[in-house]
Amino acid sequence: MSNTAVLDTTSDSTKDIDVTDGKAKLMKWLNMNFRVEITDGRVLIGVFLCTDRDANVILGACSEYLKNSDGETEEPRVLGLVMVPGRHIVSIQIDDTTPPQKYFYDE
Amino acid sequence: MSDNADLYDGDGIMDSLPISSEVTYNWVDITGDFFKHIQDLQLGELLHDGHLFGLFEAMSAIEMMDPKMDAGMLCNRGNSKPLNFQQAVKAGTLKIDNIEPNELIGIIDATTACIVSWLEGHSLAQTVFTNLYLHQPHSIVNRTLKAYCIAVYKLLDCIRDCINKAQVFEEEDFQPMGYGYRLGSNPQMGVTNCDPSQEVNEQKCIAMLREQEEELNKKARSAGDESTDCWTGLAARIRLTRMLYQALLLITRRDSQAGADCVALLNGCSEMMKVVLKTAPLGTQPHENSDTPNPMGFEPQINQRLLPPTFPRYTKIKPRTEALQYVDELVARLRHAWKITSAPNFHTALDFFMDFSRQRACILSRSALQLLYLSPSPATTASMAQSAMNCPVGTPRPHHVFVEILRESVRDFVNPPALSAKSPMPTTPQSAMNCPVGTPRPHHVFVEILRESVRDFVNPPALSAKSPMPTTPQAREFVENFLARCVRPFAVLLQVCGHNRARQRDKLALLLDEFAALQEERDKLALLLDEFAALQEEAESVDAVVSGAAGTAPRACFGTWLLYHVLRIMVAYLLSGLELELYSVHEYHYIYWYLYEFLFGWLVSALGRATSLAAEGASRTDGKKGGCRKKRRGRPGARELLMCQIMQNMCGGYYKALVAFKLQGKIKTPLSQFDNEAVRYKHRFSPLAVLTPPQVHYHEYCEMTQPMQYENPVILYMGGCKHFLQARSLLETITVPDQEVQDLLKVCKTNFVVLKLLAGGHKRESTTPPEFDFSVHRHFPIIKLV
Repeated sequence: MSNTAVLDTTSDSTKDIDVTDGKAKLMKWLNMNFRVEITDGRVLIGVFLCTDRDANVILGACSEYLKNSDGETEEPRVLGLVMVPGRHIVSIQIDDTTPPQKYFYDE
Repeated sequence: MSDNADLYDGDGIMDSLPISSEVTYNWVDITGDFFKHIQDLQLGELLHDGHLFGLFEAMSAIEMMDPKMDAGMLCNRGNSKPLNFQQAVKAGTLKIDNIEPNELIGIIDATTACIVSWLEGHSLAQTVFTNLYLHQPHSIVNRTLKAYCIAVYKLLDCIRDCINKAQVFEEEDFQPMGYGYRLGSNPQMGVTNCDPSQEVNEQKCIAMLREQEEELNKKARSAGDESTDCWTGLAARIRLTRMLYQALLLITRRDSQAGADCVALLNGCSEMMKVVLKTAPLGTQPHENSDTPNPMGFEPQINQRLLPPTFPRYTKIKPRTEALQYVDELVARLRHAWKITSAPNFHTALDFFMDFSRQRACILSRSALQLLYLSPSPATTASMAQSAMNCPVGTPRPHHVFVEILRESVRDFVNPPALSAKSPMPTTPQSAMNCPVGTPRPHHVFVEILRESVRDFVNPPALSAKSPMPTTPQAREFVENFLARCVRPFAVLLQVCGHNRARQRDKLALLLDEFAALQEERDKLALLLDEFAALQEEAESVDAVVSGAAGTAPRACFGTWLLYHVLRIMVAYLLSGLELELYSVHEYHYIYWYLYEFLFGWLVSALGRATSLAAEGASRTDGKKGGCRKKRRGRPGARELLMCQIMQNMCGGYYKALVAFKLQGKIKTPLSQFDNEAVRYKHRFSPLAVLTPPQVHYHEYCEMTQPMQYENPVILYMGGCKHFLQARSLLETITVPDQEVQDLLKVCKTNFVVLKLLAGGHKRESTTPPEFDFSVHRHFPIIKLV
């Protein structure tokens, strides 16, 4: 327990002192839905939990979508927690939920 | 199975699930930004929400594109939507009539490959039920294929029944789930539309197959040169299916009169397999790199919806030739398993079980063996014995009708002097006639088997007919109670032998606990028997020989019998660690030391004591008759005694060699700060701690092996050499060497030479560790110098 506490405090302190611009952006994306396409054509949709310098991405509650020959997507396969190695990532999209939320608040 | 109703329509139409809560995403591409931003992270730095997600959670993630973890990556070519039976028929991709014989052979062989894949532990839904014909067998117009498909249902049901009864499978061996396919009586899938008119019972199914057999044979005779082989091959497949089904039914259901039939059926299966293997190339073959085992009739994805979401998307079906080979071997294994029905006594049977397990038989033949020996199965016997023991004290145990039958049948087999005709126990010779050779023993009889086993092994006066002991009702009751207590542990022992090799070790460790409880019981029994013997001596003036024997022997008799089995389990437990490669080389020395100094030594003395006790018992009974007949056969124990001595010597050889290696620094040991030999020693032998003989503790080990540390390695090598030489000469006294003996002989010869070289100073300075090669024998490696 004490270890994690120490870890937390250090990460908090680093955040306060110098969070570089890129890191701050990445931080903002945490816990948002990611749509990651990987090299073999599969699409993974899950919650962005973690990454590192090699772009290895960990997605939580992840589902795998396959495209069949007609281009239509099949039923997803639930995978749970997955790690996608950076070298296999083709594209990353984020579920931008800001506009509908704004709309909701405006009303 | 009703839970599948909402997942799968009865008529098999696969619509996509109604997309209930449609989520709309607003995807914005961030690929470029993302890859730019991560440059700001340090090497090895994780960016994460420290409160909710940490390194620990990250460790449990599945790695995508890793062939071992990512089940979906292997087969992600875009497939079109799988067609079900009706759709495929409509689309013309599935013929239900006018099927060519070569197509039929292709379909049947592919189905066989699916069944084999199922027996190797895959799910039914991804193997056999990818065959569309099996989804609606009654809609098939071709009568041969229809009969075959219905028979497959029955066959699957029978196999599952057999395996379930034996209870020797683990999740890695076999998946009994049926996924809503109704196996057995009504081969119709789905729950909603079972039509009672389509019920097919065993007889009808067999009759349908027979009819097809005849028809196909007729076609083979009338057909031209080219297609004759095809028709013959097809007839052989139908015949094989029928005979295998009938044989498995006999094994699983057990009609007592059917012994000879079953052998004939299995022999017939082997004959048919020859034709099947020869005609296999005639059938349609799967396309190269295709997931379907046959071009027509199979749809690997059809049941995807029935499986849990994380299940692998495909199962690799076993290649056809390998699958047919498997069936051929399976039949041979079943024929071998059948031999258990003529095992004369418990010891022979136990040896057979262990030997069978050693050959790493498949799940079906392992299960069949269980059922063939005890009916319904050792597993059931064990649980019934358990519930009988849990009955409140004073409740009379149900009388076992078959007890006398077995007593009689055992007498026919071994004719031990103790079971002479003048036995005071009631015998019913006519009932023995109902129990021919080859009949699986009903479970009630297991007590009798054990009784025979004790009697045969040590011949205690308490079980002997002539001694005054059994006439004392109390003494007899104690003996009966003890034997009843034995039923569960010994039945479980047989069951454990049926499990796969890797699982046996843990189960043996658990079993040792049960035997420990049994040993306590045995101690009580010994005390009581002693008391009775003493009382008897006072009350009656019995013949001095008899009273003397009765006074001393009972404690020893049951004790020796039990000790022998406990020691065998201990040995099996320690040796299994070698077979499963659980020990590292620097641990070998105390494993072999324990086997050499204690377990095999104790076994040798237990066997020796048993022989003398049995002889004593025999003279006790025979003596009174004026030594008229000495019918005892050459004891099979003699060979076992020899094998124990051989293995004891071999273990001694390894032990001495290993100590010498250690002294010469040839064995890598863990750095002392990470090492605690006492802890490892304790862990390795912990299951042995609960029993008598008591475990030899680490400090005792250290004391006993202390002098070895100052020994000259050369002398140790010479000592090891002598052990292997001794083992070798003992092995050479065996007149009919089996594979096991030949393997051991090879190991002994090689190790003898290697140790001789080492003793002569070969590679003395080298610190390269020697290699231990287990390829010849699973427990006793060949030592190799590199």
